[in-house]
Amino acid sequence: MDVQLKRGLLDVCVLAAIKDEESYGYKIIKDMQPYVRLSESTLYTILKRLEDAGMLTVRNALHGGRLRKYYRITASGRKRIDDFKADWEEIMAVYRFITKEDRRYD
Amino acid sequence: MTKQAFLSRLEKGLSGLPREEAAARAAFYSEIIDDRMEEGLSEEDAVAGVGPVDKIVAQIIEETPFSTLAKQKIRPKRPMSAWEIILLILGSPLWLSLLIALFAVVLAVFAVIWTVVLVFWIVDLVLFCGFLGGAAGGVLLLAGSSGFAGLALFGAGIVLTGLSLLLFFVCRAVTLFAAFLTRKIALMFKMLFV
Repeated sequence: MDVQLKRGLLDVCVLAAIKDEESYGYKIIKDMQPYVRLSESTLYTILKRLEDAGMLTVRNALHGGRLRKYYRITASGRKRIDDFKADWEEIMAVYRFITKEDRRYD
Repeated sequence: MTKQAFLSRLEKGLSGLPREEAAARAAFYSEIIDDRMEEGLSEEDAVAGVGPVDKIVAQIIEETPFSTLAKQKIRPKRPMSAWEIILLILGSPLWLSLLIALFAVVLAVFAVIWTVVLVFWIVDLVLFCGFLGGAAGGVLLLAGSSGFAGLALFGAGIVLTGLSLLLFFVCRAVTLFAAFLTRKIALMFKMLFV
């Protein structure tokens, strides 16, 4: 898959993984596992990028005697997901146009 | 490998990064290994699951801009005393010229590599010109009276074309190899600052 496209997709996937409730690193990887395999270093880079862009916030919380980082989505993070869905509608329309042409030449 | 061994190897590998950045990376891995163990994995398996340390370090270094690595390298580990600053300034004719020499050597290596590439392409171009000359000369001589000489010249032209076509593929391979070498050397140079 195109690198730029995949990068944008993964950003939205991570946002989707925390959209219902806040989550932590290992849980995000596990929740995404059935759909896309994500390495820990890639996840770190994405989380950092989304935090810098203000799409999520981070808090430290005690869990079983150690600290765990929890990630919570922000309003602009939710907007990113909505924008993605809107873009995708357009892309699907173009996709239908492209495959329609295919059928005509079959 | 134990979690502690993994983390200390990771931090050692990332010593070229700003300290807080390296610590944040290590804390991130530490948390995930703990979470894996909490789910019932053994320490060994939990560590193995995140992948080999060397690969992780190489990936992080490649993602980090060169300027960050260089800045971290030249930042003193503790505040410098006045004497150290004076010595540093007095010594600048020595270390500054050594640093410039190091940069110059790397640049020279790049120049040598790409000169070889250039030579290959020039030879190929010359051979191709030989074809044009041979063909033109041959046609001219054939049109005149000296048929045999014209034919020989034309033949020589065709041989040169064949050679230039063959050499074209060699040139392409040499160019690709030079690009590969350039990338490798640049990465090696980056690693000097880690």
